[in-house]
Amino acid sequence: MTKYINDESNNRRSFLKTAMLGTAAVGAGVVLPSLPVSENIGVANAASDGKAKMAFIQWQPHTVPNAWSKGIEEVLTAQQSFDYQLLDGQNKVEVQVSLMETLINDGAKVIFLQPIDSVALAPSIASAKRRGISVITLNIDATEEHAAHVEMNHYFGAMDIARVMGEKMGGKGEVAILNAPPGIIIRDQRTNGFVEGMAKYHPDIKIVADVNAEWSRKKAQDVLSTVLASNPNLTGVYGVNDSMALGAVDVAKQKGVLDKMTIFGNDGEKDALESIEKGELSGTQYTDVYQQGRFAASVAAVLASGGISARDFQSQGKLLMPYTIATADNVGEIQSAQRW
Amino acid sequence: MPNKLFKHIPNAGLIFFFVLLTSFFCLFANNFSTSMNAENILAGYSFIAIIALGQMFPITARGIDLSTGSIVALAGMVIYDCMLIFELSGWVSIGLGILAATLAGALNGILIVRFNLQPFVATLATLAGYRGLVYAISGRQLYPELATTPLRDPAVKALNEFYDIGSWTGLDQFFQTPWIPVSFFVLLGVMIALFVLLTLSPYGTALKATGGNYEAARLAGLPVRTITISAYAMSGLLAGIGAVLLVSRLTTSTESLGIGMELTAIAAAVIGGTRLQGGKGNVLGPVLGAFLLGIILVGLTLMGISQFVQQMLTGGILLAAVGYDSFRTRKQA
Amino acid sequence: MSNELLLETIEVSKRFGEFVALKSANIEVRAGKVLGFVGSNGAGKSTLIRVITGAHAPSSGTVKVRGKVVEKADPALMRSLGIACIYQHSSLVSTLSVIDNIFLGRQIRNRFGLVNGKAQRKRLQEVMTQFEITVDPDEEVGRLTPVSQKEVEILKALVASADVILMDEPTAWLSLSEVKTLHATIRKLSAAGKGVVYISHVLDEVFEICNDITILRDGTMIWTGPEEDIDRPKLVNLMVGEALGEASRAAMTAERHPRGTGEVRLATKGLTKNGVFHDISFEAYAGEILCFAGLIGSRRSEVVKCLFGDDKPSSGEILSEGKAIRFKSPSAAIASGICLVPEDRHAEGLCLQHSTLENIVIPSLETLSQKSILNRQSMAEMCDRQIKGLNILPPDPHKVVGRMSGGNQQKVLLGKWIEKNPKVLILDEPTVGVDVGAKAEIYATIRKLRDTGTAVIVVSSDLEEVMTLADRILVFNKGRITSTFDGGEVDNDTLIQAIGGEEVA
Repeated sequence: MTKYINDESNNRRSFLKTAMLGTAAVGAGVVLPSLPVSENIGVANAASDGKAKMAFIQWQPHTVPNAWSKGIEEVLTAQQSFDYQLLDGQNKVEVQVSLMETLINDGAKVIFLQPIDSVALAPSIASAKRRGISVITLNIDATEEHAAHVEMNHYFGAMDIARVMGEKMGGKGEVAILNAPPGIIIRDQRTNGFVEGMAKYHPDIKIVADVNAEWSRKKAQDVLSTVLASNPNLTGVYGVNDSMALGAVDVAKQKGVLDKMTIFGNDGEKDALESIEKGELSGTQYTDVYQQGRFAASVAAVLASGGISARDFQSQGKLLMPYTIATADNVGEIQSAQRW
Repeated sequence: MPNKLFKHIPNAGLIFFFVLLTSFFCLFANNFSTSMNAENILAGYSFIAIIALGQMFPITARGIDLSTGSIVALAGMVIYDCMLIFELSGWVSIGLGILAATLAGALNGILIVRFNLQPFVATLATLAGYRGLVYAISGRQLYPELATTPLRDPAVKALNEFYDIGSWTGLDQFFQTPWIPVSFFVLLGVMIALFVLLTLSPYGTALKATGGNYEAARLAGLPVRTITISAYAMSGLLAGIGAVLLVSRLTTSTESLGIGMELTAIAAAVIGGTRLQGGKGNVLGPVLGAFLLGIILVGLTLMGISQFVQQMLTGGILLAAVGYDSFRTRKQA
Repeated sequence: MSNELLLETIEVSKRFGEFVALKSANIEVRAGKVLGFVGSNGAGKSTLIRVITGAHAPSSGTVKVRGKVVEKADPALMRSLGIACIYQHSSLVSTLSVIDNIFLGRQIRNRFGLVNGKAQRKRLQEVMTQFEITVDPDEEVGRLTPVSQKEVEILKALVASADVILMDEPTAWLSLSEVKTLHATIRKLSAAGKGVVYISHVLDEVFEICNDITILRDGTMIWTGPEEDIDRPKLVNLMVGEALGEASRAAMTAERHPRGTGEVRLATKGLTKNGVFHDISFEAYAGEILCFAGLIGSRRSEVVKCLFGDDKPSSGEILSEGKAIRFKSPSAAIASGICLVPEDRHAEGLCLQHSTLENIVIPSLETLSQKSILNRQSMAEMCDRQIKGLNILPPDPHKVVGRMSGGNQQKVLLGKWIEKNPKVLILDEPTVGVDVGAKAEIYATIRKLRDTGTAVIVVSSDLEEVMTLADRILVFNKGRITSTFDGGEVDNDTLIQAIGGEEVA
């Protein structure tokens, strides 16, 4: 679907913006990682004492947005002048839209958003912009330009996965992709990056299957068994998220072919990292998701403090998170405080 | 004395609870009693109220429709495809979407009547079947370059308009009146039409009889099979109308649209007094139920309450609403 | 108008495959007359009714309405010709109002196609005035008393201009006074020239209200004629055949055992439930059939519920074998040997969708299992015992109970408790809706239980039943015991007076 390509014409502006954001983020990152995460998600009663309101509308409760929220909260509560609220989108677009409208009405300064659909949330983002509210999207972009977008590097990261995975496979073999259900942008970013990466770095490796395992470990187990049956020479599996990759590991172990398989995931969850350390999963793209949250919050803080208005940005800033392709060689370097 | 009054107004307990809850939020939730908030709630929940009204038909006929969410997605995707791929005019696309939804509903009814399937089972199957169909016809899959194109048809824009009733009627002299969204007018129209259908026309009694005592209705010469099919067709039709409004609001349709919406619709209908055993239903109830769900979500969010606590409180408030109403009815019996 | 032949069946037979349900039925329903249909279950009454209402086409023979042959068997057609039937089980929709039920399927519409409420009310009022029946048109049918519901069904038929009205077991759940009201209404219908067909097991009522009687047995009409030409014993004999008729008569003259063996199994002292019943004191002896007689509404069932642990009294004592006890639940009562066959066998007694076997074993599951596993063999034996002992028909342990006749359902209920060897067995209205043959068998079973030493308490509003069964009678009136008699020492009239509320020494 939407290919992630840096458009030349916007390059300079977005570069400057990215540089500014990156500086703020790095600055925040240097100062804050050791602070304890606040437990204070409760009744916030903002308006009267002059605190700025911020809220995060997530897709639905899950490890990734939970970690973002922790990161965001760290930064915001440390600054003492923001009220923060975590809201559940219940996996329904219309709920997210409703929550957006409610926050706009409530005079929030910044809204963090993990859109369930990039087009459907666009009208609400436009609405927020009109009122001078900054919207920062996490991982999933929206078609309406907004203040900032902080993303795991889906596309380039997937390309790198292809490169590293291909090397581990010795440059040849057959690979299956365990994929997400259709209709989500990052699915396509992560898939296209991988496919194009393979074509570029390891043209001899063939992708023989691309099947839907619905982001789930259990489904991946079922699906991979079927794929193995029809492709007995399979030597590589790419799970578009860690859960599915771990499901593949389960099946490979069960069938006793784990040694012959190279299995990569994407996200960098704690379980995946442990699996790599045990020598089962071959690798994953690790992003420090707490850090991602902190970056987003730092950006928000800058915007909210009146330093720069959202309207001053003519185009959207995009921040790609730094990532590591974690394999057995370098997984030890990832600290436990960074694991999520 | 108040109890006697309550007896004669349907849903009196629910109305009372609704007013009570709204007052509470006006007092304790920031920005709840603003005109903007009223607009948000009307725009956000009118279409759910319409879908809940649709769900009332199969429930009154002593059945249930679990495929509502999938039918909403189906109608939405038909509209999307018609507008963006076939480039048909807005109103034609909308008409086709509603038609698709009605047919899907009728098919539910046919499966239940002709093949003697339990409504729960039949609509559970179509929940999956229709959802699969949505993925299959999805314009966003077939033509990926369209995936990020919003619907800009004038029909869609028209449905997303708000009207300043306040200035027309002069009410805005007294307080800041909310602008009423088109979806609310559609809801009012639907409510009036259903009121005539259910209370004044023979169809209403026939439907309640079919649900209340199928055998008795059959023996009385009512075409019970046709009535049952029509109940599911109505559910589809209203789901289609709701879908039109939702798609206009989002300016797009997604493959996962409406997942879980059937449960919301059933909850709203039941809170509104439609008995699951069939035979009873009125037009105001599901609407109140839908808006009650809306003000709970919005009110708790404006109070700054976190999502986990919100879930518990929502469950508690709903129990209270249903419990009070059922307690009141049992006292009467 | 009077005596016109409204409906006629000529040599009508109905065959279902091999089974002949009806053979050469010749019926005449005349205007202004009440015709009684009498016969045991399975005698062919229901089949005949279905032919008359057009639900079944006859295999041979003709049906004529007002002299014209009816070509097709079609319920809608027969209804339009003025034939209406009021079934034993209500065909009303309990969630709708009276007026909606009456006009169900034939609502009066205005020119927009909408319902014309005013016209409907007017028509209903006309009919109500003409026949002197009053009901509140807006009341929800589910909230009406049984007799009012019957009246609504009659109104429904009248509003549809029915000329022939069939009534199948119309008095099944009615009290004495309600039966009188119903009979008065029937007389009004006759006077207005309607033809009424009265199908009933209650022979007293048949003699009371019918002008002519037709007796069916095994699908054949074995006798028909005016009511004056037959008497009760002959009728019973014809209905059930000689042998069973004998048993029925013998029952009337059987030996009585007031106070049984002298051992008090169950007693109450001053048992009271505020606002329901007051100061109930009695003793039930082993080896005795004690009858609680009275009108419907005299609160006997409420007393019985307390005895069984299903309800709590406000004050007073219950003594089981001399010891004062308070049952917290039916299971406690059952553990003490007290069992109840409830009034509403459908709602409170049987699992209608389950089989005979499954119903019979329910209270005995503990005894039938070893180490928590059910012993199939014992279950089968238990079921077999009861089927044989009570002559349950059909004798198939897997027959779904909901499809059996009322009498056999009641036998299943009895069977399940007999297996527990109860010390006290309470039966609440045991033979409502049960045909004469099954009734006699049930009475025989009750007597056998008594003879083996069980204390039996029978709650009954059926005078004949009380007179037939009771060793001792307690008469209840509005929640109090007003008279006591020994069985066999009281005559019909005295008992009727006592039940009616007059103090009798």
